[in-house]
Amino acid sequence: MKTYLIDNLPILQHHLTLNYQFHQIVKNHDGQFHWQHINSEEINPLVHDKPQSSAKSYFFADQENVLIFNGEYFQETLPTPKPFVLFGMQSCDLTAIHYQDQFFKDDPYYQGRRQQSLLVGLDCIAPCDNGFCKTVNAGPGVSADCADLVLHPLKNNQWLLIEQTNKGADAIKGLKLKKADSNCVTERNYTLSECEQLFPDDNYLTQGIKKLNSGKISDTFWQKVAIQCLGCSGCTTLCPTCSCYDTRTIKQDNNNISQQRYWDSCLYEGFQREASFNNPSLEAGSRVKRFWHHKFGDDFFTDFSRYGCVGCGRCEQTCPGVIGVHSVMKHIEQEN
Amino acid sequence: MINHIPDTIELIDFVDDGEQARHYHFRLLPLREGQIKSKHLEHNWQNVQPGQFFMLYVPSVGEAPFTFTKAPNKQGEFRAFVRKMGQVTSGLFAMQRGDILGARGPFGRGWPIETIQNNNILIVAGGCGLAPLVTFIDGLIDKQVNGHQHNKLKKQQLVLVYGARNETAQMLNPERDRWQQHIKIFNTLDEYEEENISNTFQGSPLTIISEALSEFTSKPRTALLCGPEIMMKSVANYLTEYGIAGNDIFLALERRMHCAVGLCGHCYINNKYVCTGGPTFSWQEVKSLLN
Repeated sequence: MKTYLIDNLPILQHHLTLNYQFHQIVKNHDGQFHWQHINSEEINPLVHDKPQSSAKSYFFADQENVLIFNGEYFQETLPTPKPFVLFGMQSCDLTAIHYQDQFFKDDPYYQGRRQQSLLVGLDCIAPCDNGFCKTVNAGPGVSADCADLVLHPLKNNQWLLIEQTNKGADAIKGLKLKKADSNCVTERNYTLSECEQLFPDDNYLTQGIKKLNSGKISDTFWQKVAIQCLGCSGCTTLCPTCSCYDTRTIKQDNNNISQQRYWDSCLYEGFQREASFNNPSLEAGSRVKRFWHHKFGDDFFTDFSRYGCVGCGRCEQTCPGVIGVHSVMKHIEQEN
Repeated sequence: MINHIPDTIELIDFVDDGEQARHYHFRLLPLREGQIKSKHLEHNWQNVQPGQFFMLYVPSVGEAPFTFTKAPNKQGEFRAFVRKMGQVTSGLFAMQRGDILGARGPFGRGWPIETIQNNNILIVAGGCGLAPLVTFIDGLIDKQVNGHQHNKLKKQQLVLVYGARNETAQMLNPERDRWQQHIKIFNTLDEYEEENISNTFQGSPLTIISEALSEFTSKPRTALLCGPEIMMKSVANYLTEYGIAGNDIFLALERRMHCAVGLCGHCYINNKYVCTGGPTFSWQEVKSLLN
């Protein structure tokens, strides 16, 4: 692992724009933070704020053509993006990409985009609203296997740059960078450990997860929680690890037919409804129960070596029925 | 990488059989002029196991899973039994002989042929649920007929209980007529007025199951079930009490699917996906997951 000391971050940003389409989190007119493509002359200072949506649509597109049928045969429509960099991504969202890398490891559409990407992580030095990455082993520091390069803010407006992969090393080739001394790494470890102390009490979260896996939460409990689920798909849309999709056929102007896949939500009433109208998850309670088991169930932990939740807290922020992760875990903890 | 792209197939023929149901005969077509061969995994049509399924693509409508009633032969011809139910099957029923469609597969885990090949087997099917069992029953009867000609095989007993709502809802009539010469079949009908059809009884498969079990000269070791989930659960519970172990009772489950490769999420049963973990599961595996 090589480490460098950076005095002037825009030099790194501009260097990356030479070989990559540059994407960074920016504040929009709506006051929200979003991922956005920016030109080299519009490079902004790095922001620490969590974007409203994670970067999942960069790899698992919210809608995309899978194939074209021309009346004679079917042809694949693989994405061919130019190399791009996502600069300054927080640890929770990087952990989610690492999770989806496993899930979509054999999917050519996801991998077609993923292989063209460079991920530059950004350590969080303060907890964000509703965030609990520390509890689910997804932050606040970027872990070694989740990004190509990692940035950490040091005192005196300097940055520690950590090279994690060969792809990261290639990306900074040609830049004259000062080597960082071990004090910088020590400072990083200290700052991250201080940040961890600043997270609010997470006892109800750890107890809630334990209880959820105990098998003692009744279906009646989930039915009660589900009364507050509007089936709006806000949580599944914003959740950086959710990846369910549906397909549809679209007739094109030239009479070819395309097959699209697009984001779906397991909380929709019709998600599992079959052509016969048999619906194995007709009860809202069963859908809500399964959603939370998908995020925190021990069975899924075994499959992915981690929980399906990365602690970003977006579900809590967006849920109009107030049954995001913090609210649900508090309900579970209080359930007898 | 997974190949999400269907191979091109031609609709060769179809025959009506039962209420809004048809036998379809398809043929895989060679690469067409201008078509680029996929660099991903090829669809393995020459290695279909009984109980596996394929995704049928009906142009302008979409895709849905169907089981094979005859696996693709060397010429790429295969058959499926389809009941008109939703948009995809309605689209298929509107198609004509010679029309072009798509298919990808085979997918999933079929019946555990290797482990049950010498066992006495009870099969319980309901309605369309008989379709995923067709290639299995055909294969077993073929083996017995040929095996006995060569005097090599011990007689393996197979008994089928087939339930349907009424006479018009009975499916796969040619198959059952053919099998009747080789295996014992009990038919049950929920609505049964005539009461004079041979081997046919009023009620559900559960009402006749003890009689079916008494047909065996030695107790069946294995049971294969396919049909409405409620029927499979009640039969599996009965058979467990009768003494068949949970890991010797197998169920073929049905779920909505869009990808068939464990990605779209629609066919979940808790942490399992029916498309990749099933559609065949042992009762032991899924008992606690089915409500």
